[in-house]
Amino acid sequence: MLKYQAPGKPALVLTHTNAGRAALEIRIKKAGVPGGAARVSTIDSWAIGLARKFPRRCGLPLQVVNVENPRTDYVTIRNAVATMLAAGHLDDALKATYSRLLVDEYQDCGLEQHAIVTAVAKSLKTIVLGDPLQAIFRFGGPIVDWIQHVHTAFPPVAELDTPWRWINAGTEQLGQWLLSLRPALVARQPIDFRTAPAEVTWVPLSGDSNHMHQQRMAAAQTRADARDACVLVIGEAANPRGQRLIASGTPGAVTVEAVDLRDLTQFGRDFDPADQNSATTLVKFAADMMTNLSQAELLRRVGSHLTGRAKTKPTILEQAVLDYAAAPSFGSAASTLRRLADGPRVRIFRPEAFRPCVAAMDAAHQGRLSFYEAVVRARERNRFLGRAVRGRSVGSTLLLKGLEADVSVVLYPEGMDGPHLYVALTRGARRLVVCSRSPVITPAVAS
Amino acid sequence: MARIRYVQIRNFRSIKSLDWTPGPGINCLIGPGDAGKSTVLDAIEACLSPRRVITFADTDFYGLDITQPIEITVTLGELSDELKDIDLYGDYLRGFDEVVDVVDEPHSSLETVLSLQLKVDADLDPTWRLYSDRTAAMDPVRNLPWKARLELSPIRLGGHPNSNLSWARGSVLNKLSEERADMGAELVKAARDARSSFGEAAAAQLKSTLQAVTATAQYLGIPIGGEAKALLDVHSVSFAEGAISLHTAAGIPLRSLGTGSNRLLLAGLHRTAAARASVVLTDEVEYGLEPHRLTRLLHSLGSKEAPPPLQVFMTTHSPVVVRELSGIQLHVLRNLGTRHRAFEVGDTDDIQSTVRCDPEAFLAHTVYVCEGASEIGLLRGLDLYFTSNHGTSLLARGAAFVNAAGGSPELCLKRAAAIRKLGYTTVAFIDNDKPAAPADLEAFKQLGGIVATWPPGLALEDVLFRTFPAQTISEMIDWAVEEIGLERVNQTLTKAAGGKPTTIDEIREGFRILGEYSPDARALLGAAARTRKQGWFKSISKMEAIARQFLGPRWDTSPVFKALIDHLWQAPG
Repeated sequence: MLKYQAPGKPALVLTHTNAGRAALEIRIKKAGVPGGAARVSTIDSWAIGLARKFPRRCGLPLQVVNVENPRTDYVTIRNAVATMLAAGHLDDALKATYSRLLVDEYQDCGLEQHAIVTAVAKSLKTIVLGDPLQAIFRFGGPIVDWIQHVHTAFPPVAELDTPWRWINAGTEQLGQWLLSLRPALVARQPIDFRTAPAEVTWVPLSGDSNHMHQQRMAAAQTRADARDACVLVIGEAANPRGQRLIASGTPGAVTVEAVDLRDLTQFGRDFDPADQNSATTLVKFAADMMTNLSQAELLRRVGSHLTGRAKTKPTILEQAVLDYAAAPSFGSAASTLRRLADGPRVRIFRPEAFRPCVAAMDAAHQGRLSFYEAVVRARERNRFLGRAVRGRSVGSTLLLKGLEADVSVVLYPEGMDGPHLYVALTRGARRLVVCSRSPVITPAVAS
Repeated sequence: MARIRYVQIRNFRSIKSLDWTPGPGINCLIGPGDAGKSTVLDAIEACLSPRRVITFADTDFYGLDITQPIEITVTLGELSDELKDIDLYGDYLRGFDEVVDVVDEPHSSLETVLSLQLKVDADLDPTWRLYSDRTAAMDPVRNLPWKARLELSPIRLGGHPNSNLSWARGSVLNKLSEERADMGAELVKAARDARSSFGEAAAAQLKSTLQAVTATAQYLGIPIGGEAKALLDVHSVSFAEGAISLHTAAGIPLRSLGTGSNRLLLAGLHRTAAARASVVLTDEVEYGLEPHRLTRLLHSLGSKEAPPPLQVFMTTHSPVVVRELSGIQLHVLRNLGTRHRAFEVGDTDDIQSTVRCDPEAFLAHTVYVCEGASEIGLLRGLDLYFTSNHGTSLLARGAAFVNAAGGSPELCLKRAAAIRKLGYTTVAFIDNDKPAAPADLEAFKQLGGIVATWPPGLALEDVLFRTFPAQTISEMIDWAVEEIGLERVNQTLTKAAGGKPTTIDEIREGFRILGEYSPDARALLGAAARTRKQGWFKSISKMEAIARQFLGPRWDTSPVFKALIDHLWQAPG
C-alpha cells in the first residue's frame, strides 16, 4: 500500500517498540517503497514529539515532557496528547502533513495509546494491523480489547490467512499447521506435537531436572541447515539468569537483552574507580557477560598477586585486572574489559550489554558526562537503533517477539499461556524444536 | 497562496511599534505624510524578501537607537500543506484569528499560521528565522528553505520595471507560462542574420506569453498597436537572460512606455501570474496615472473581486484611490507617539458615505464634519477671506470638510464619531435650533471629538441676522434679493411670520426709520433665511459667497460668532 500510494504526502506509520520501528523501516526499504513515502515512529515517541512541539495545548510542564520520571510521565503524556488531539487542535496540521495513518502490532496498544490513534483517525484515514493472539506485552496499564475497543473503532476489513513467511521459506505445511493451532490456543485446548508436520521436532524430556537441563542444552544447539541461517532459543520468560546460562553454555550463542538493560544501568550507578572495591565490581560484571571467566578464581589470584604471595606469574587475564587495580579509571576499566574479552577461550555472550558498557566507559573517561549518564545515553541509543538477529540468540517470547528466524527452539512451552505459546511457536520459518515432558500441551491460564 | 495575517514591527525607522491585522485583499495605507506608510511596505518586503544582500544602516533603527534591535515579524496564513508539516515545522506552527490575533500554538478554532521574523542587531547583520514564542530562545535559529522563501517573496510594482519587460531572471514574464526561448542556437543565428528574422523565431516560441501580454495590455487599454512582439533587443550585446524583451508591433521596446503605462502593464501581468504571486507591494499607487487608468489598475489588482485574487499593500495620497476602494480596504496609519496603529476604515454606513462623497477627508489631519452645506460654505468662505488677508487657512493646515447633508445633528455626530475613531482630529459643526441629544454629544466628546455649535436655540442664520451689525444685515438682504429674488424672500418672510403677510420692504423701511434692525426684525430675518427647502443661503457656494464678502470683514464684531470661529480655528491644534 505504501509502495503504490500516490506521490505527495507521506503516510504516518506507528508501532509500539523501537525494535518494531527499526524492523518496519528495514522492511519498508526492502519492499522498494520510495524514500519519504512513510514516516515511521513509535506511538510514544510520536506523542512525546507532539507534547514538545505544543506544550501549552498539552498543558504539561517541561519536566514531564522531558520524561524525567518515566514511571508516571509516559501515561501523563499519552493522556494529554490524546486530549489535545481529540480537541481537534492539530486536525489542520495533521491533514496537511500525512496522507494516512497505519498502526502495526495493534494488539499491544494500551488504552491511552488507543485514544491517541482514534483521535488521529478523525482527521486521517487510518488502518490498524494486529493479531490478538500475539498480545503478550503488558507495558503497564490495560491494553485494548480486540472486540470491545478495536472492532468498534476500526471495523475489520480482512483477516490474513495465508502464511506467507512459511510459503516463502518453502514450509507451507508448517505454516498451515501453526494457523490451525490458533482456535485451540485461544480456547486453551490441548495441542499435540505428534500430529505436527516434519519440520517440527518434539524432544521428550525425561528424568530429573538435571537430565532435563542437559536435554534442553542439547536442543539449544540444534544445527540450522543453511550456513547463515539464524536460530532463536526461547527460554523462560522473566528469567534472564536462566537465559544467560543457556547462552554461555551454548557455543556461538548470545543473549537478546531487554531494552532497559537493568543490570548494566545498576552497574552504571555502582561502579566508581575511586571506590576501593571497584576492581571486584568490575570483574563480577565482566564475568556476567563472558564465558570462561571464573570470577572467584580470578579475584583470588589477583588478591594474592597484590599481596605478593603469588608464586606463579600472572596470566593474561590476571594481568589485565592488575593493570586496572594499579591505575583505576574509566579508561583503564574499558581497556581491561577489552583485554578480558580477548583472553584465551573467553567469549562474550552478552554483546548487547558489553558494547554500550565499554562505550559509556570511554565517554566517561573523556569526562564530558558521568558514567551513569553515559550508560543511560548508550542504552537509549541502542534502544533507538533496534536490533538484528544473527547466528544463535537466546531470549524469551517477550524479547524475541517481532524477530524472525529460520529455526526456533522452545525450551519451556509448559507454563506458557496461549499468546506466549503462539509467539514462541511462530518464530521459526523452517524448523521448530519443542522440549516438553508430554507431547500434548494445554495453554496455561494467562499470567 | 499564503496571505499575511499579522504584521509586527519594532524599532524600524519611524516606527517604534506597530501591530497590524491586514485584510486578505487590498490593503491601502492612508494617513498624514511621514506617518510611516512606506516604512510598513519596506518592512514587509525586508522580512519576506529572500534577498540576502539587503543592508541595514544605523538610520534604519528607530530614533537611531541601535541598542534596540529591529524586529519585523510577519505571520502568514493560507499556508500550503508543505508549510504546515507537523514534523518539519511543528515547533513553529501557531494559531490566528482576527479576534485573538496570534497565539503561539494551533487551536481547533484558529487558522494554522507560521511567523517569519527579521531581526537586526547593532552589528547590522540581518537574520531571518521562523519564529514562535516557544522557540524564541532556541539557538541556532531555523529558517524556511530557499524555495519556500522564493515563493513567499513579494513583488514590488515600480521597482525594476525594465527587467520585468524582458525575459530576465525573476521577470514576471517567466511566471506567465513555463515556456522559455532557446537561448543558444536561435539567438546566435538571429544575431548573425537579422533582428527581424529572430523575431519570427522567438514569437513562435513565446506565443502564449505574448498572447497573455497582448490580452492584458488590451484589457488595460495600453497602446501597443495590435499584438506584442518578442524581438531581439538592440541594446543587448551579450546573449544573457533578458536579451529577449517585449516590443510593440512597431518594434519599440515596451520599457520605453511612460511610467504609468509601465506600471499598469506590470500590475496586469502580475495579476495574470497571480497564481504564483503571494504579495504585491506598491508605494504611491497613483504615481504617473490619470484617474481612469488608476481605476483600471486598482481593478486589475482585484479591488472589486471576492475572494480577492491577490494580497496587495499600497500607499496613496489620492482621493481617487480612496473613493475607488471599499472601507475595509483602507487602513489609516497613525503615529500615536510611542506606537503606531493602523485603523481599518470599515464599511459601516456611518463611514462609507464619507469614503464615497468626501474621500479627501481621509487624507487630511483635521476633519470638519458639517451638518449641512451652509456650514461648509461658511468655513470655505471664511477660509478664503482669511487667506487673502494674511490670516490662518484651515485648508493649508490639512483640514477637510465633510458634508453630513442629513439635516440632523444626530447624523452629523454619528459620522463625525466614525471618523474620530480612526484617529483624526474631528470637529462636528452643528446647528443648535433643535438641540442634539445630550447623550450623543457626550458620546462624541468621550471619543475626543470637538463639538462646535451655536448657543441653544440658534441656527447659523439666526446668529448671522441677530448678532452682526446692521450694515452686514443690509448687505445680506441686498444679496438675497439680488440672488434669489424679491418674491421668494417675501414668501419666506410671510412663512416665518406665521402666515402674516410680510415684505422685505417693510423691514427695510423699519431700518430706515430706526437706523437699526429691531430684535423682532432680526429674529424674523433669521427664521426666513433658514426656511426649510427655501433657505436664502442654503448651498455651499451661496454661504461661501456670504462668508467671504460680508462675514469675513466683520467676523469679530459679533461676540457669539467670533467665539465659535475661534473655537473652530483652534481645532487643528
